Amino acid sequence: MRITMAPRTLKVCIRQWGQGLLFYLLLSCASHQSGAAALAPGYGELGYTLAAPGSYTLHHLGQAPDASVLDEAGQPQQLHDLLRGKYSLLSFIYSNCKDVNGCPLSSYVFYQMKAAMQEQPELAERLRLISLSFDPARDTPQVMRLYAKNYEYAGEAGEWRFLTTASEAALQPILQAYNQEIQREVAVNGELTDDYSHLLRVFLIDPELEIRNIYSVGFLHSAILQADLKTLLLEEQPQAEAVKLARANIGNEPVTTLSKPGDNKDGYDSKDYHTRSKALISRRGQATDLFKIVQRPPLGLPALDAATRAGLSAEKIALGRKLFFDRRLSLNDTFSCAMCHVPEQGFTSNEMKTSVGVEGRSVRRNAPTLYNTAYPQLLFHDGREFQLEEQIWAPLLAHNEMANPSVGYVLQKIRALPDYQGQFEAIYQRDVSMQNLGDAFAAYQRALLSADSAFDRWYYGKEENALSTRAKQGFRLFTGKAGCAVCHSITETHAVFSDDKLHNTGIGYQNSMGIRPAKRKVALAPGVFVDVEQRLIDTFSEPAPKDLGLYEITQNPADRWKYKTPGLRNIALTAPYMHDGTFSTLHDVVDFYNQGGIANPGLSPLIKPLDLDATEVDALVTFMNALTGSNVDELVADAFAAPVGDITRTDPNWANQLTVPLAGETLRSLE
Amino acid sequence: MIFKFRKQAFAPLALAGALFLSGGLLNPTPLMADETCMSPYMAKIDGQEDFVYIWTLGVEGMGDGQDKLVTVDVNPTSANYGEVINSLSVGGRNEAHHSGFTDDRKYLWAGGLDTNKVFIFDVHTDPAKPTLNKVITDFVSASGGVVGPHTTYALPGRMMVTGLSNNKDNGGRTALVEYTNGGEYLATHWMPTDENLNGAEKTGKFADGYGYDLRVLPRRNVMVTSSFTGWSNYMMDMGKMINDAEAMKRFGNTVVIWDLHSKKPKKILDVPGAPLEIRCAWNPENNWCLTTTALTSKLWLIYEDTDSEWQAKPIADIGDASKIPLPVDISIRSDDKGLWVNTFMDGKTRYFDLTDINNPQQTYEKVIGSQVNMASSSWDGSRVYYTSSLLANWDKKGDANEQYFKSFTWNGAELEQQFALDFNAMKLGRPHQMRFGAYSLYAKTQQQKTRDLVKLMTQ
Repeated sequence: MRITMAPRTLKVCIRQWGQGLLFYLLLSCASHQSGAAALAPGYGELGYTLAAPGSYTLHHLGQAPDASVLDEAGQPQQLHDLLRGKYSLLSFIYSNCKDVNGCPLSSYVFYQMKAAMQEQPELAERLRLISLSFDPARDTPQVMRLYAKNYEYAGEAGEWRFLTTASEAALQPILQAYNQEIQREVAVNGELTDDYSHLLRVFLIDPELEIRNIYSVGFLHSAILQADLKTLLLEEQPQAEAVKLARANIGNEPVTTLSKPGDNKDGYDSKDYHTRSKALISRRGQATDLFKIVQRPPLGLPALDAATRAGLSAEKIALGRKLFFDRRLSLNDTFSCAMCHVPEQGFTSNEMKTSVGVEGRSVRRNAPTLYNTAYPQLLFHDGREFQLEEQIWAPLLAHNEMANPSVGYVLQKIRALPDYQGQFEAIYQRDVSMQNLGDAFAAYQRALLSADSAFDRWYYGKEENALSTRAKQGFRLFTGKAGCAVCHSITETHAVFSDDKLHNTGIGYQNSMGIRPAKRKVALAPGVFVDVEQRLIDTFSEPAPKDLGLYEITQNPADRWKYKTPGLRNIALTAPYMHDGTFSTLHDVVDFYNQGGIANPGLSPLIKPLDLDATEVDALVTFMNALTGSNVDELVADAFAAPVGDITRTDPNWANQLTVPLAGETLRSLE
Repeated sequence: MIFKFRKQAFAPLALAGALFLSGGLLNPTPLMADETCMSPYMAKIDGQEDFVYIWTLGVEGMGDGQDKLVTVDVNPTSANYGEVINSLSVGGRNEAHHSGFTDDRKYLWAGGLDTNKVFIFDVHTDPAKPTLNKVITDFVSASGGVVGPHTTYALPGRMMVTGLSNNKDNGGRTALVEYTNGGEYLATHWMPTDENLNGAEKTGKFADGYGYDLRVLPRRNVMVTSSFTGWSNYMMDMGKMINDAEAMKRFGNTVVIWDLHSKKPKKILDVPGAPLEIRCAWNPENNWCLTTTALTSKLWLIYEDTDSEWQAKPIADIGDASKIPLPVDISIRSDDKGLWVNTFMDGKTRYFDLTDINNPQQTYEKVIGSQVNMASSSWDGSRVYYTSSLLANWDKKGDANEQYFKSFTWNGAELEQQFALDFNAMKLGRPHQMRFGAYSLYAKTQQQKTRDLVKLMTQ
């Protein structure tokens, strides 16, 4: 509805307000300069449907401050004594207030509440109204008594107190405590007037003296106040907890699989795309016995060697898991390993081709999956590391990853974090060190073993029906005509699908040579694309990263653009593909190899046109889709059960210890 | 009189900067104002603003490299007019972005989209010299994993902070986080997703759970939120992102209508292409808000229809979408008749005539710089300020990376530059959002200032 000074509203005023008050209101309105100034919603009908009482929560906004006040008889009282035991609505007013949407509004709405008390015994019994003046010089107890008389017409039931203070000095702490900024208006001659500017605030305070809501001009209405009071009264009832639980679960649907991005964008290229987003509050999981998994890897994986197994323990894995998800292990407390190796995204990131690190710095390569990372002899896409225990220091210290300035910094930071106290000592019999930190990280990563896929159950488990006919055809191509298994190796007893070697497929060459189309198809929205000039994109692009692959490690020209063969287990979960994430789908990958990669002087002789037809390409993809381990949801659920480390107020961060306001540099010092 | 009410009515404390002039020199006709972009619960400056507080991103290797709150003196009567008079470094590069005052306008809350810190500045003790009084460091852990504090919006006695991302996948699913004015965490209100619509109606195809901006229409008990993208994208180099098909799928396509009082989502509207800033109309008969989609380059009307149902529809194109103009900040006139729209990529500010709200027309444009992001106008619309930076890693590179604060006057037909500050040359960084300060807002300083001014005028 429109909120204007409609004749109907005035009639309501005349009917409901006492004569004195009406005169007062009209005087106020007449004296108001702005003819266009509308009456606040509190004067009219609400005009919209409120949420049902009890369907929402009123939070605890802090304790209502105490104060020394004078009651209508001029007797000193403590505000807390007046507030205790009932719900209270507390408003700051002054009797001389002329603005119709100021104090008169709060008094009018209180009048409405008092009227409601006549009809609702529970309200009359449980609610108290308090109007407290912030003009003690004029609003003596006697004046407040007279002021109160204006509102007697509402009826006798219920309590409405009209309080003031003994002096300006007694008032000031109250204004400060309730954050009531008031300002004496200044006349044209610069002298103070009798008028005040103030921010109208009405406080809803519960019987335990907690502030539960604060209302201002646009939101002070008796219907809202009554709904809030009913909500608080409902909260007192025994079934309140059950109601809360029911509220939290409105609309929840069961989650069918955990190993999918929570923000699923499958089909985004189509105008028919619709979201299938998961709720973050439902991202919960059950911890699993990871130590048991490393003792007996799933079907299709080799056993870990005896020395590695002996060095592992459930406690080390648990500590490693905590570290893995701790975002504080970066210079600015925003980056854990899990921000690039996201559990429900195949322990990689499905949401970008190449990673970004601290402060959004670009990482030139795709985050590899950590499934089955216990097995590779070479780590990173260029094979520059050999042990997980040592590998961890590269991302911890890289400027464009976790950006920690030094080894010692990382160790000191962990030592100072309250929630790591004693943890390393209990497991390693010494405090955190470069070695045991790497050991703990490695322990968790080694436990992310996943196999027992449809392929494994068919090939190693000899379950004939475990694999579809199309997938079996794909397997024959994989190991035969397509030649994939030459690099993505399979043995008679197990398969990690990698030869642990590095090869040049031409992708790196293409990037280094800047070979790219002049225009790029860019999605603006689901199913909405534009072709954008690459030259335009370059104006806001950082320079393309340099990446020469294995050559950067060996300096051997023959090693230019060689990258490690990745394992293929859970490959369906780890898009996008290749060392730079250049392909979005497995079909794209197979098409790339089918055409023989990209010609360049160092192209691996193993990469050549495969002459696969579309059916064969499909069969290969079907086979790769059958490599998803049976325990991926178990590992993801376990990851969901891990706490995510973020700063708390007890962490030793300088900003937690800011006790003296920090001043800036002024003009003089800036010059 | 106590409250100075404009047509928009319920601004509870609109204080005249130069109160004694209010019957004379102040032009009461068409208002256009960043002040109108502020919470309706808040005190307003309707005279001459004294300061602009600029939340500025530090640049690695430039000056002290830190984010800072930069205070510029913008009062033409001041001896320091057009100068940076204070610079308060806050430690680190936090991806300084937006800021907002508490409803009493005593404190400025400024969020860091990267480090998730919320910096609370005292701007009332000495409006010329803000101090950093508190840092909320535990925004993420307290909220249950919300990342990227963006809009800090005043509600009575509390602040609503919109998130952009989360600490699980750095994607776009996020929440609104409610705080007391004192900086105590109150509640997390998750954006509705398919799995938990939380009672909201999914009216179209999308319920992405993304967030960005927030505005309220108290007279309709409505809160409106828009949707941008998660940490991974807003922190990523923009060129890298546009070249990445996967990343480009992670943008918001929704506007959510909430019950303001209960803070429950009611309706999810499809607004594809990353709807960003929201500005709501002020006239009581105009039950609508506007937003622009950054990627699809359209102006959208979010409106309540005759059946009291909220709807969304595109009402104008902004430039040529194939050139990705990127509409960014917008600013509505207080009479709802016009809108400034900045397009980052071509550095233009564009004026749209909203006389026919169903068919807005662009009637003016001007290139402000090689890139432009924020626009802030004075209450009376006669002064407009611009800054250059969008996001640290989205700004242009090389010579096109101008970083400036520019002051213009607007006479209704033409913008005329008054002064410009080169933030690169001054080693300050990337200026982003602007908020106004004035002595007139605070009792202790206002009275003295007014007396001084009266003295000056009568000499």
